[in-house]
Amino acid sequence: MKTNSKFFILPIISVLLMFMLLRDGAVAVASEKSLLEEVKAVNEPFDSQSVKQVRPVTQKTVLAKEEYQGGTFRVLARKHAIERYKCSRCHLDKPVLVTQGLELTHGNVVINHGRKGDELGCIDCHHPDDRDYLEDKKGRKVDFDHSYQLCGQCHFRQKRDWLGGAHGKRVSNWAGDRVVYNCASCHNPHSPRFEKRFPATYSVPLN
Amino acid sequence: MSSQKQDEAKTTIEDVLEKPSSRRKFLKGASIAAAAGSAAVAASYMSAADPASAGELKLRWQEYFKKNYRIMSQEEKDETVTRLERLAKMQDNVDVQIGNEPPVEKVLFGYAFNITRCEGFMECVTACVKENNLDRKTNTQYIRIFEMEPGQLDPSTGDGQYYHKVPVDDKFYMGAQCFHCEKAPCIKACPTKATWKEPDGIVVVDYNWCIGCRYCQAACPYYGRRFNWGKGEVPKEEITTKQHYLGNRKRPMGKMEKCTFCIQRTRKGKLPACVEACPTGSRVFGNLLDPDSEIRYVLKHKKVFRMKEEIGTQPKFWYFID
Ligand code: SF4
Ligand code: SF4
Repeated sequence: MKTNSKFFILPIISVLLMFMLLRDGAVAVASEKSLLEEVKAVNEPFDSQSVKQVRPVTQKTVLAKEEYQGGTFRVLARKHAIERYKCSRCHLDKPVLVTQGLELTHGNVVINHGRKGDELGCIDCHHPDDRDYLEDKKGRKVDFDHSYQLCGQCHFRQKRDWLGGAHGKRVSNWAGDRVVYNCASCHNPHSPRFEKRFPATYSVPLN
Repeated sequence: MSSQKQDEAKTTIEDVLEKPSSRRKFLKGASIAAAAGSAAVAASYMSAADPASAGELKLRWQEYFKKNYRIMSQEEKDETVTRLERLAKMQDNVDVQIGNEPPVEKVLFGYAFNITRCEGFMECVTACVKENNLDRKTNTQYIRIFEMEPGQLDPSTGDGQYYHKVPVDDKFYMGAQCFHCEKAPCIKACPTKATWKEPDGIVVVDYNWCIGCRYCQAACPYYGRRFNWGKGEVPKEEITTKQHYLGNRKRPMGKMEKCTFCIQRTRKGKLPACVEACPTGSRVFGNLLDPDSEIRYVLKHKKVFRMKEEIGTQPKFWYFID
């Protein structure tokens, strides 16, 4: 390797310089106002449309029925991603043979949501009569695109953080219009915990 | 620091930045051996061992004598990225777009990491490797995820090289990368002013001005910097072609590199690749100067802390718990 020789010399100098730096570093301890205080003192609104070149989110979204910092925001739509929506195509007025239907059509659904041994049942969240909707504890219809209204009944802390931005995340952009993932974009509502799996990669020692 | 010392420091910066020769002067002054090293770098840069067209040699020649990015005019910046794009085409036959987008006004980037949520899947790491064209041969990674024992908060006590199904019960996971310190010791350590903090808070490296001395790496109290031992080998079809001069463009061999908050993305309003890839939403990124941003919500409503807070480096990277 024609250029490798230069690397031998450098570590030696690095050690020498380290001494100088460590001595210097001791002087650099914070004295002024902390960064956190400085940041928190900035209260002038920022125009997030001022960032040029922001590409709008291409996925399907809907306007959320909640507020973010006094304004509106959008969430990823869900209905189009549900394989067998609309549910009323099968769940009509005609009776469905429950046992068979369950095995044939929803056999892949494993409920692992709620206390062990006392898992939630279908109609704890799905509307008992109008299957194209969910139903909250007060008997109100909830649209699949706005499932956060339903999940938030029990997971109110998560919902509060999701509204604020400490739970879940924005889609693609930090600037521009706020678009966030819906609850069911990340969590499988029937089994919301992430399954254990191997990490995507491994790390080698640092150089 | 006394004002006299400050003045001295100022002169040095000006020296380095304004006189093109002083980079070499520094090396001479430091040690003859280092000067020899620099000669080797120059030789390798200009080596005509491989057959190169006259056009390519000319571009390489112009590249070698360009200025530090910080004192280039906009015109010079545009010229160098055009040269680099042409060189990428000539040398590797890839079509890249190298940008030099300036910082956005009234933006100071900040990052928060939820240690309650991270489950150690490391999808951020693979996304970062891909986005930033990191060397596949040496398996360079800017991000490291540590598997931590309960109650421990210092990653050096954790396991940064786990490979088993995650999450492991009773363990938690903590990510580390360059924290883009407001008072960054790495910047002070650099003898050639090849690394600095941009107005939007991103600590960057001018890969062409860096001499690969690694002082900055020694000065970083975190796990921020990576030295590029190889040529940055990336399979052609995996190269991320949207690049930035201070970001994921091809680094010459023997240079320092690190997380740039995906400068090529974030200056265009996009989230960093790690944030976009995280399946658990543990990573929050945004503008610290925007009172309505998610990052400000975290800072206001969550219990946050930073690594080695007491040494005064002021990282713009906070850990938080739900
Ligand atoms: S984390 Fe290390 S490399 Fe990054 S700014 Fe701080 S001192 Fe520099
Ligand atoms: S290795 Fe670090 S300290 Fe040395 S020239 Fe490069 S950026 Fe500066």
